[in-house]
Amino acid sequence: MKNARLLLIPLSPLALVAPAYAVTYLTVEQAQTLMFEGSVLTRDTRELTAAQMQAIETDSGVKVTNPQVNAWHDSTGGWFLLDQVIGKHEFINYAVALDATGAVRQLEILDYHESYGGEVHLPAWRRQFVGKHHGSPLQLNSDIKNISGATLSCGHVTDGVRRLLATYALVLAAAEH
Amino acid sequence: MRSCSLPPSIERARPLLGTVVAVRVRGAAPRAAHRAIDHAFAAILEIHRLMSFQEDGSDVSRLNREAARAPVTVHPHTFRVLAWAARMARLSQGLFDPSIGSTLVEWGILAAPDAAPLPGGRRASFHDIELGTGQQVFFKRPLWIDLGGIAKGYAVDRAVAALHACGVTSACVNAGGDLRTVGTEAERVTIRTAATPVDVLPLVEIRRGALATSCSSMSAPPHTGEEVGCHVSGRTHRVVNARTTVSVLATRCVIADALTKVVLADEAAAAPLLRRFHAVAHVHHPDCPGTGWRTVGGLQ
Repeated sequence: MKNARLLLIPLSPLALVAPAYAVTYLTVEQAQTLMFEGSVLTRDTRELTAAQMQAIETDSGVKVTNPQVNAWHDSTGGWFLLDQVIGKHEFINYAVALDATGAVRQLEILDYHESYGGEVHLPAWRRQFVGKHHGSPLQLNSDIKNISGATLSCGHVTDGVRRLLATYALVLAAAEH
Repeated sequence: MRSCSLPPSIERARPLLGTVVAVRVRGAAPRAAHRAIDHAFAAILEIHRLMSFQEDGSDVSRLNREAARAPVTVHPHTFRVLAWAARMARLSQGLFDPSIGSTLVEWGILAAPDAAPLPGGRRASFHDIELGTGQQVFFKRPLWIDLGGIAKGYAVDRAVAALHACGVTSACVNAGGDLRTVGTEAERVTIRTAATPVDVLPLVEIRRGALATSCSSMSAPPHTGEEVGCHVSGRTHRVVNARTTVSVLATRCVIADALTKVVLADEAAAAPLLRRFHAVAHVHHPDCPGTGWRTVGGLQ
């Protein structure tokens, strides 16, 4: 591979941490536009009762920690659901679009944060690498957008979707009838 | 004025292939970029569905259930990945071997497939996988294949092909660290090693190429009393070098992905294979002198 090179950038002793990784892919508004283009979404937030939370947990097998359901509906019976899942080392905000039958039409991760490690700002760059960035510190996450070697965990999103589908069936769709 | 010098980019991510897959497209109008990203995700989803070890309906599950009894016809993509796997197995003399599924199940890394005949007797190897005509696959003895060591790379390559087909000229597809870039814009990638904390930040700058990283981090033993990692040598069926991180740069992600496993299993034996594919491996081990990094193979 001639088109690649490895650079080993010394970090200051104060930065002896695993670099934390945080990236935002879409804002809520961008996700809504992407998933419901041309539709008008109406905010339809619900507060789950203790009984509903219990029913969702039983149905999905996934613990419900947040009683608030961040939901929007459109005129055709579709739903836009905003949710967060928290893993051992990460938390993920994501959005799910359900069609009028309650099937997942689309899923987009909005942002991904690691909840350990630290932000690493990189003040000292070699001149040949700095290039157009010369004079300004490069920052992990904004200037270096990729990470390799860490399999970013997404198992909790699968659980989250199962919980949301149970929430739809037991609360959102039930209320429509 | 940094932001003005870079083309606008749109990036989206979905949970696929057991990780977070991100696709970033630069320099395209938003609608075209989103359409291209949709196609890239669809390409990855197709590979995910075909080659999942766990999903009952995947080609891999069908093979593990049925191919020891009678030939099984698989999707052309599955056949192509099996052909790549067989080639890598042959060239590495079994250091890479797709028949390691049963060992990964034994170690508790994968769940045993439902209704699949138990591999038994002499340990199976890639020699027991027969690739016939018409995408037919036959196992000469019961075995469980796992394409986890190569399918992710292939999926990234398919996503890149989908982006090309949409006219995208600058992009990056990153499937949990297996990534490939499109276009002349340099991508900067930090490599996370199995050993932390770090006092050196490893950074790869890459143009029009692929990078895959495998870390042999160790986890608690389920029953054997030995530590296990998520990577196994195809030849010995033993855990590969502990605390080693291997990043391979290659032209295609399927090659980079498979070669990380060969380098992890046997660095010296991997060197000629790296050169054959014009690939370079950067290997990190905390006990290695200096920065902990060394470079193996390829055009340096």
